[in-house]
Amino acid sequence: MDALFTLNNIRYDYANTAQPALHDVSMTIMRGQRVAIMGANGSGKSTLLRILDGLYFPKSGTITAFGEPLDEHHLMDDTYAHAFRKRVAFVFQNPDVQLFNPTVYDEVAFGPLQMRWDKEKIARSVAETLDMLEISHLRDRAPHRLSGGEKKRVAIASVLILDPEVILLDEPTAALDPKSQSMVVDFLVGWANSGKTIVTATHDLDTVPDIADDAYIFQQGTIVAHDTPANLLQNHELLLAANLIHAHHHHHDGVPHTHPHFHLGHEHDHSGEI
Amino acid sequence: MHIPDGYLSPTTCVALYAAATPFWYVAGTRIKKTLSMRMVPLLSVFAAFSFIIMMFNLPLPGGTTGHATGAALAAIVLGPWAAVISVSIALVIQAVFFGDGGILAIGANSFTMAIVGVFVAHYTYRIIAGKTAVSASRRVVAAAFAGYLSINAAAFVTAVLFGIQPLFFTDSNGAPLYAPYTLDIAIPAMMIGHLGIAGFAELIVTAGVVGYLQKNDISLLSMSDVGTPIVAGTLQSGLRSARTLWLIIAGLLVLTPLGLIAAGTAWGEWGATELVAQDGGKTLTNAPTGLLQYANVWKAPVPDYAVSFVSSEQLGYILSGVMGVGLIIITMLLVTYIGARISRRNEHTNP
Amino acid sequence: MGGEAHHGKRRGNFIQRTIDSLAETLERSLYAEQFAEERGILQRLDPRVKLVAVLGFIICSAASRNLPVVGAIALVAVVLALLSRIPFTSLTPVWIGMFVFSGLIAGPAIFLTPGPSLATLPWLGWHVSSYGLRSAALLILRSEVSITFSVLLVMTTPWIHVMKSMRVVGVPTTVVVILGMTYRYIFLMLQSASDMFEARQSRVIGKLSDSDARRLASATVGVLLSKSFQLSNDVYLAMQSRGFRGEVYTLDEFRLGQNDYIAIPLIFTIFVSGIWFGLV
Repeated sequence: MDALFTLNNIRYDYANTAQPALHDVSMTIMRGQRVAIMGANGSGKSTLLRILDGLYFPKSGTITAFGEPLDEHHLMDDTYAHAFRKRVAFVFQNPDVQLFNPTVYDEVAFGPLQMRWDKEKIARSVAETLDMLEISHLRDRAPHRLSGGEKKRVAIASVLILDPEVILLDEPTAALDPKSQSMVVDFLVGWANSGKTIVTATHDLDTVPDIADDAYIFQQGTIVAHDTPANLLQNHELLLAANLIHAHHHHHDGVPHTHPHFHLGHEHDHSGEI
Repeated sequence: MHIPDGYLSPTTCVALYAAATPFWYVAGTRIKKTLSMRMVPLLSVFAAFSFIIMMFNLPLPGGTTGHATGAALAAIVLGPWAAVISVSIALVIQAVFFGDGGILAIGANSFTMAIVGVFVAHYTYRIIAGKTAVSASRRVVAAAFAGYLSINAAAFVTAVLFGIQPLFFTDSNGAPLYAPYTLDIAIPAMMIGHLGIAGFAELIVTAGVVGYLQKNDISLLSMSDVGTPIVAGTLQSGLRSARTLWLIIAGLLVLTPLGLIAAGTAWGEWGATELVAQDGGKTLTNAPTGLLQYANVWKAPVPDYAVSFVSSEQLGYILSGVMGVGLIIITMLLVTYIGARISRRNEHTNP
Repeated sequence: MGGEAHHGKRRGNFIQRTIDSLAETLERSLYAEQFAEERGILQRLDPRVKLVAVLGFIICSAASRNLPVVGAIALVAVVLALLSRIPFTSLTPVWIGMFVFSGLIAGPAIFLTPGPSLATLPWLGWHVSSYGLRSAALLILRSEVSITFSVLLVMTTPWIHVMKSMRVVGVPTTVVVILGMTYRYIFLMLQSASDMFEARQSRVIGKLSDSDARRLASATVGVLLSKSFQLSNDVYLAMQSRGFRGEVYTLDEFRLGQNDYIAIPLIFTIFVSGIWFGLV
């Protein structure tokens, strides 16, 4: 196993807030690893994914991807940028952000068009990818005529067509019905079996054991724990402190009683939606 | 209003495409330079936004409703160049997919609303807002004026376009082929509705939203002020090319009537003066007196329109046409000039 | 029509009216797409051919100085609608709407335009001028012809194809791409605006006063504006993530078929004769 991403003391600030969005973040992501980034809203996990995808650049600290520094300067170069964009895919939390084309077909063809593939190859790959995600029938649909689960599948198809090595997912199961959630999880499990790297930012703890074998907990922009998913999910005190679960107060035979409580996939983040 | 097809002659439509093209071109290159890769998503989202605003029906004082074009708001928030493109794109979508405004008239509608409307709003806002803080209540007033004047300027240009049609485009009997009313009717008819009603819809939306943003998302209002990339042409940077453009446009406007007269004769159409000669004004006298009086009422707000409705002085029509056009040019140049003075002063005071 | 005013009967019910008009826009687009899948004559043509034909016919009717020629082009539109299986029920509202609008504008011209008198109105003593009548008829007919052709185009062609085919008439690729994204985000924002109004309506008891309605509209537009910025930033990131470098590329899989080769000379003939007879 070799390291795909190495982050060293990353810090990132947004222009209009005093608190850094990320600080003192160091981590290594290995090839073929499945990583979960757990944290409540505003813990910095989305920012981290954007840094991994070369969309934001840290204010301090260093990041290397595939053995080369990942910075604004390198990404100015078309060849480097195309190679990097092909290898790393990002599925945004809000499918309305991800799906910016007028039809499903155009959406899935967008990546290859930017990479200047020839037309026949694009046509063939789009057909195969739509088929793989079982959305061929949606080919000419406009995105506003898709259900939440369909949108998510199209979003995944639109990045998988480039056959990336790493896929970054921001809350992939948020705002989905249970059936679509399990579809997404099944798909990720199957895809990872082919030796791909997956980084998932989530606060949906139920899915973590299925989609990750390494997990981080983020709180207020920094890593507070790093362990296997199984170990982290047993540490209720930690999960409680990180706002990933909340204490449930109730009475047993008149005795006040408190225990931590998991939220089963209905905690949806609408912050990114319009 | 969105001009439908059939109201303007094809020549006028082509002339207005020609007039709008340099603006689109300059806007395109400027935005490309300042926004670079952000241009496509930003303009798309804002064109969609402009489209949506045009659908909001507002209750107005006095028992009517009306809706805004959003051109003034776009000019204030995005800066004039990005606004020109966003509003034009919204107009294209309205014309092609919603039948709102003609397809041949896209150039004309873009010229009046997305170019005249946007620049009038931009300069009005800048001049009135002056150096006040972004949160100053004077900016709400500035926005109100920008909205009101912007839509009225657009309506005025539209009225002039309508009004010059019967001067140049008539059949062999002298009956109008396109919009049938001359300037002395078209201008009051358009302006009464816009000065009285539609102007207030634009005023309310523009001032209301600027007021809302001051309280809730002030960064959007300073975007086109501080010189962040979204500006795409504040006064300082946009002025030189803007002035050149106005001069081109002024030239075009002056030449258009002349060109049209030439074209008219070339097509075997009776030139306006020939009409007078051949007709002796005989057929021009049977308009009903009742309506004539009505026409006079309409004329009241524009007393300087010395050309009376059926005076048969066809030359007078041309003069009034040129006058209307000249008025626009003078206003635009004046506004540009004042804008330049103010921006120069601003440059000196806060370097 | 931007900026026109109506005397609202449902005054005070501002929210409902806005939701209705937003919903109508959404429905209209879905409705339009249904006919794009019918097997009519226009549906079989390449979108580029259709776009150029529609433009050509509109130019014909605009350039014609001759009322019968404009009438003949109107007839072409009606025949095309029939052959494309567009039900008249979906065209009549468009026709009536345009007739009312243009009629109101053109009406006074019947009396105001100088010309030989055909008849005199009782009581008022106004003369119906034959030239005025012709001018009014031309204005109304031309605006009807133009809107009918543009409606035929969008009803028989998926929207995205209309946009992509605009490249043949010189619209730059960047603009075509922006149009496509605009179209896509119009629906997102319609949904968003409609949700905002509905949420608000569920909290409103009784009628909303006019000033509250105006405040609500301003606030809604303001919220939409803020969200638009957020959205455009995020979309930009999403585009970059998939390799966007500022240059836009589109796929157009249009290919002229046998039908097109038959249609092109026909359209050309109609266009040339329309222009020829129209100028006589």
